[in-house]
Amino acid sequence: MTATALSIRDLRFAYPGATWSLAVPRFEIAPGEQVLLVGGSGRGKSTLLQVVAGLRDATGTVEVAGHRIDQLRGAARDEARGRSIGMIFQTFNLLHGFTALENVLAGLMFSAMVPKEHEARARGLLETLGIPDPEAEVDRLSVGQQQRVAVARALAARPALVLADEPTASLDPENTATAMDLIQSACRADGAALLCTSHDPTLRARFARVESIDPFVAGGAA
Amino acid sequence: MSTRTLTDGQIVMRSLRARPLSTWITIGMVATSVALLLVLLGMRTAARGAFDRGSGNVHLLVSADPSPLVAVLNGIFYANAPSKPIAWAKFQQIRNGFPYQWAIPTQQGDSYRGFPTMATSTDFFSKFEPAAGEPWKLADGRFFERPFEIVLGSAAAKGSGLHMGQQVFLTHGSGASREGGEPDEHAGHVHAEFPFKVVGILEPTGSAHDRALFVDLESSWILHAHDRRERAGIEGKTTAADLTDEDRKVTGILLRLPTRAGNDASAAMQQQFDTLRRDTAIVVAQPAQQIEKLFEIVSNVDGIFIGMAVVVLFSSAISTMLALYNSMAARTRQIAVLRVLGASRGRVFGLVLTESLMITMAGAVAGVALALFGGIAASAWLKASIGLVIDPSLDPRSTIIVLGGAVALGALAGVLPAWRAYQVPVADNLRPAA
Repeated sequence: MTATALSIRDLRFAYPGATWSLAVPRFEIAPGEQVLLVGGSGRGKSTLLQVVAGLRDATGTVEVAGHRIDQLRGAARDEARGRSIGMIFQTFNLLHGFTALENVLAGLMFSAMVPKEHEARARGLLETLGIPDPEAEVDRLSVGQQQRVAVARALAARPALVLADEPTASLDPENTATAMDLIQSACRADGAALLCTSHDPTLRARFARVESIDPFVAGGAA
Repeated sequence: MSTRTLTDGQIVMRSLRARPLSTWITIGMVATSVALLLVLLGMRTAARGAFDRGSGNVHLLVSADPSPLVAVLNGIFYANAPSKPIAWAKFQQIRNGFPYQWAIPTQQGDSYRGFPTMATSTDFFSKFEPAAGEPWKLADGRFFERPFEIVLGSAAAKGSGLHMGQQVFLTHGSGASREGGEPDEHAGHVHAEFPFKVVGILEPTGSAHDRALFVDLESSWILHAHDRRERAGIEGKTTAADLTDEDRKVTGILLRLPTRAGNDASAAMQQQFDTLRRDTAIVVAQPAQQIEKLFEIVSNVDGIFIGMAVVVLFSSAISTMLALYNSMAARTRQIAVLRVLGASRGRVFGLVLTESLMITMAGAVAGVALALFGGIAASAWLKASIGLVIDPSLDPRSTIIVLGGAVALGALAGVLPAWRAYQVPVADNLRPAA
């Protein structure tokens, strides 16, 4: 096991023409640790997650489970992301027209897991997360079930780090609690570190470590 | 043990199923163009083979038609009745002027229900072969042996509904005729005094001869001598004894030159051809050469059709490209999700290219099936309607070339949509919809 699930050093990122930028001198998450990153809307929380996932280029060092994401390019970076990082989105971003099982299998397509283990892993996760019919198309599932499928997909490849981008932004308080219970317990059960962004202050109590994005934002409001 | 995984092929198939109308229309276009190309290419080769059958083992055809090509079209393919006759004396002069293997006189001009008749000698069945190496075969009965017996080609028997032993009255020219009973006043000039008896029905030969009816030459002379005598006011039924030199006419002479054993060609062909050509009263044709000439004329036309089919194939490739390209707008999120899950740009490019190839390959395979069944249907129709036997099987070389071309075009059609997928900005397409 590597010493950190995520290690950021001297990261700088700015959108072309933007009046603000991200500057993260040092940021680390230990394996299995759960961190809540808070801040107002548009402050750069999602951008930071995208940089960590290698979806945007920045200067500095980004290391996920021993992979230097910042140094990898092209297919190698995509492969590292597929193997080390799971992502959960506010709108789930499931593959429409595919079943719940297939969505989780999609999370395993680019993983290091041997293909013969894919189905057992996917079915196991769906069962654990309470999806009664893995063969149901995701469009026929309830919102809560769709979120469970999204969590299962993010954890399928046994990533070292799960990035959850505003996973409860569109949920009411009751469902927010349920969703966060699910995400946190699933990550804990799988040993994955969690970096969750949210502008919802009620989530602070759920995390032992809460960080604000504000110290990392330079310049005007985003 | 669980073995189920999600593969690139499944993603492609799911994507195609997500827009069935567009997918099926595009496959249909590819199939149509591939089938059209294969059928046209196949028909061109097969039609050539079918035309080659009719002239059989004839080396030269003599007639009084205006040109050698017309002589072949009339004398071998029954396009029209030859307009000018050749005197019997001329036939004898030609037959005796060279040691031919055989010289067979023919006379055309009468018909039965639109099916042409050919009056000829018994040598026509014993020596002439409708396809080289394939002599006549009887499906029923026997060949004619005496005047007023008639033998039916296979298509003529089927088309006319005549059967063995039935009486037939022929019509002068190509008008309608009728079987036994009183002559029909509305059927044109029917040789009502002279019934012919059906004594034989031929096996199909795959040539235009299948549509003809065959009678003894003397019978035909008697029919027309009777007409002449009627016009002159001479009463009584005409017999062979009433025939004059004026009545003894033919419209064609089939000639075969001496050949060495096992060789269909004759060394004397060109010399004898040139000798006969010097006689300005007749036209001499080498059927094989005239069929070649006919196909040179027709090749320009079928070149246009093949060109059109190629244009349709290109259109289907453009249609494939547009269908895929337009679908990209609705699939940017799916592509972005796959990228987040670890798919490289190259993998996404490959997925879209595979999609294009699958559409094209499905269309191409459907096109081959369509061409095969279309060819069988067209072949059956041509055989039934004009007696042409077309081999409906597809030429493997043409099939491979057309399939290869279609797949290459499909790959090409997928490049632009694949490039669009390649360039999808991942982070921007993962945001919640506005």
